[in-house]
Amino acid sequence: MNQADVTKLMSQLRIAVRPKKRNLKNADGPEGRLLKLRKTVTALVKHERIELFYNRADEARGYAELLISNAIRHGDRHNATMELADYWLLEKQLVHKLFKVLVPRYENYTVSYTRMYKAPRDYPGIYYRQSVLELRGNPYPSLLADHSQNRNLLQNVLLDEARKEFRRQKLSDLVN
Amino acid sequence: MSAATKLYKTSWCALRQLQQYRTKTNFSASIDKRNDLFNQEQRRQRDAVGRIDKIEVRYLGLPEDVTLVMNSNISTPFNCAQHLSEGHCKRSALALIDGSVPWDMHRPLQESCTLQLLNFHVSEPHVVNKAFWRTCSFMLGAALNRAFKPEANLQLHSFPGPNIKSGSFVHDIVLQTQTWQPSKEEMRAISAEMVKLAAQDLRIERLDVQQDLAQEMFKDSKYKSEQLPSIAQQTQGRVTLYRMGDHIDISRGPMVGSTGFLGKCTISAALKVAEEGPASAFYRIQGVALPAGFQLNHVAFGILEERSKKPSPARLPNEPFEEQQQQLQLS
Repeated sequence: MNQADVTKLMSQLRIAVRPKKRNLKNADGPEGRLLKLRKTVTALVKHERIELFYNRADEARGYAELLISNAIRHGDRHNATMELADYWLLEKQLVHKLFKVLVPRYENYTVSYTRMYKAPRDYPGIYYRQSVLELRGNPYPSLLADHSQNRNLLQNVLLDEARKEFRRQKLSDLVN
Repeated sequence: MSAATKLYKTSWCALRQLQQYRTKTNFSASIDKRNDLFNQEQRRQRDAVGRIDKIEVRYLGLPEDVTLVMNSNISTPFNCAQHLSEGHCKRSALALIDGSVPWDMHRPLQESCTLQLLNFHVSEPHVVNKAFWRTCSFMLGAALNRAFKPEANLQLHSFPGPNIKSGSFVHDIVLQTQTWQPSKEEMRAISAEMVKLAAQDLRIERLDVQQDLAQEMFKDSKYKSEQLPSIAQQTQGRVTLYRMGDHIDISRGPMVGSTGFLGKCTISAALKVAEEGPASAFYRIQGVALPAGFQLNHVAFGILEERSKKPSPARLPNEPFEEQQQQLQLS
């Protein structure tokens, strides 16, 4: 078969993208939807961690991943990539940030560039699911608690005891 | 639409009937009797409260310290959590009264006190971990009861006090066979029963009863009725019972509030301890588990599973029971 390898033609994202796009209800139609997503992608690159509705975050995440991935693949001397950056980033100083800060940061990553968390919904309030979308390697403290440091947690007690027993076993093997 | 609803309803009814049928065949009448007695005693204790007194419960913790006015001998720490938030209800596994006494989530509070709600992520989780380990042993008893056919003639013996550092929780049973070599599939079936129990999210109830009532409830169980006098002797004639679904067992407690707190779980080994009589034998079932929501990669959990297969150092069931109780007191 004389078929081109698809992964060489376009970026392979490291996140699961839905097969169908969300329409993200908007009075201005498809253009309004895209403007919404451009605002979100811009805000993500600018603030590195944003809290918003789940649907909008999940939809914007794919475009942000694609943008960063293309920037890494083609660099800043590639017309199509520059146009893409110009389209998705509404504030033009962020184009510099994309190529000079984010590309060096993510060059050697083997995981996705963004991360999404489910966030609690405020009650009473709008019933939409909330989420937090962030760029990996951002300067803020982690949103997840670090369980590796508290030696008293059940799993750490079990693992510590397993480690001690293993060492005891090794020592007794050495002696004999 | 209506046809679909009807279909759903009929299949649901069929399922219900099937379940009732299963209940009737699998669990003997003695379990029904035991549950009836438990219900009656629970109702009697609730009625005996009489005039309702108010107590002040000072809650210490997030989001802020508050004072709750609750009902004496009726309100439980879970009811206090209901006043705080849904998250508190779901996360809290155990309560701490006056900063030192561990208290079950569904055990009525008796007098004014301070209250802390503990989950598995607090900085000093020893008490909750112990309660969790004990609950695992208790659940293992229920899972074994469900897993074995009546022909196996399973009798639960007891479970020793929780010792997390040994790497496994334990339940000792008596089976009417002396040559049981459990296969991997059989162990996995028991683990699956544990997971099913966790998915059912059953509430774990506590009840203190007099010794003679406990004797009446456990009169069909040879080993439990042998153990009861020495247990009651240490606690002024009162025996603490725990119930989960329709499974009732004796334990000092405390336990976590619900079976839903069980996350990853593996029942790893069933070791023959000693022969009992001409045809039966003591077996010790061991397993390892983590609370729900704890992430652990499968290699690390595999190490824990391997370790939990080693014989637990806890006192064996065929040794004298009084000594075992003293051991419990010390631990």
